[in-house]
Amino acid sequence: MNDTSKTINFDHVSIERSGSTIIRDLSVALPDQRVGIIGRNGSGKSTLVRSLNGLLPVSAGSLLVHGVSAEEGAKKLARVTGFVFQNPDHQLIFPTALEELSFGLRQIGVGKADAKVQSLALLRDHGIEQLGERPVHELSEGQKQLICILAVLIMEPKLLVLDEPFSSLDLRTRVALRRKLEKLDQQILFVSHELDALSDYDKVLWIEDGKLKQFGVPADVLAAYQAHELSGVDLHFEGVARA
Amino acid sequence: MISLYMAGNSWAHKLPARVKLIFLFVLSLLIIPFNTLWFSAALLVFVVALYATLGRQGLEKVKVVRPLLWMMGIIFLVHVFLGDIEQGIIAVLRLLAMVLLANFISITTHMEALMDAVEPLFRPLRVFGISPRRVSLAVALVIRFVPVLLAVYASLQEAYKARTAHANSWRLLAPFALHAIKMTDHVAEALTARGGADGFDRDKK
Ligand SMILES: Nc1ncnc2c1ncn2[C@@H]1O[C@H](COP(=O)(O)OP(=O)(O)OP(=O)(O)O)[C@@H](O)[C@H]1O
Ligand SMILES: [Mg+2]
Repeated sequence: MNDTSKTINFDHVSIERSGSTIIRDLSVALPDQRVGIIGRNGSGKSTLVRSLNGLLPVSAGSLLVHGVSAEEGAKKLARVTGFVFQNPDHQLIFPTALEELSFGLRQIGVGKADAKVQSLALLRDHGIEQLGERPVHELSEGQKQLICILAVLIMEPKLLVLDEPFSSLDLRTRVALRRKLEKLDQQILFVSHELDALSDYDKVLWIEDGKLKQFGVPADVLAAYQAHELSGVDLHFEGVARA
Repeated sequence: MISLYMAGNSWAHKLPARVKLIFLFVLSLLIIPFNTLWFSAALLVFVVALYATLGRQGLEKVKVVRPLLWMMGIIFLVHVFLGDIEQGIIAVLRLLAMVLLANFISITTHMEALMDAVEPLFRPLRVFGISPRRVSLAVALVIRFVPVLLAVYASLQEAYKARTAHANSWRLLAPFALHAIKMTDHVAEALTARGGADGFDRDKK
């Protein structure tokens, strides 16, 4: 058996959204440090990862995240799972980066002065101390996304979930942020449509139509996914526009 | 989330949040007895002068009220129909002055400082089991998002104008409401993802 304190365990999990079942009876154990999630638009990737920090409840089955059961409530899950949204503008609440970071610390009970010192230190570690006092709406997309990631990391989650966080970033910024992620101790769950980015991951999870289609090492899953998705693409083009 | 904080280290940034809020409160009471044209005009000039002290970039921020101007126009017209032009001018001057003053505080104050400033006011609510932090966060969010909502409205106007050559229409109200609701959804999610308005259990690290 896997060490449950470092594992995500889905056991016959279903998740509903506005009354319809999106994820259906999904079971998988994820003990690996780096896990990628792939699948078509609308296959249920976001729905699945949103359950990990309690943004969506599990409607059937049981979910265990690093020793915390979904039954213990959304708040407990949110404490172990840090969630980085696709669009930084949907995540940043505060007018400046420094406040955004200290907010997380104050949420976990750090005092005002300490929170400021620690937030500044983290910005300094990443060489962006000068961004701390700038209004976040004046930052570039890449800078904003880095602030979002740091704002989550500063709360020291055990699991970091990123739902297509780099989709509006240029190549260079993507690579730079990915390198930062590689160095982290946290378990990482990365939802992405950029298959290349997942090739050095430990495992890849392929979701289709709310169900687990394949789970395994990237070499196998990515190849199978590509073959599957590209076969007959002209005949069955469904024309799903990306939002 | 876009928010229109202005970076800087001016006197207005340095003034404690509590002082600024008390000032806003006192002025909003003062305008009730001082119901004259001169007082209202002087008040508006004074508030605009506050922006001017922040420099050119500060003065630029006065434009935030542009999307409200047509509403001011309607308010003025209503007074004209009621036969009181002077009251109409006073009403418009006052509204502009107060919105600008609130916005001035919003762009020169850290949201955290605002929260800390208002939190003590809500401590008595604890008796009813309401968390003062929750309420202060709500108040700070309202103050914070006034300029953001104004900016959203302005961008809708722009989009509308690009296609119809008119800047305003009641047709903008529905999309505006939708944007505002979506925005509250996003803020709520972002908060929930990091432990909600009350934060995590404070005694357990
Ligand atoms: N708020 C919602 N209410 C109801 N159904 C929803 C909601 N959000 C998404 N869905 C539906 O759930 C299904 C899965 O959506 P989800 O966002 O999880 O897909 P995804 O795999 O993340 O897709 P993408 O790659 O486009 O991000 C879709 O059929 C979608 O229409
Ligand atoms: Mg998605």
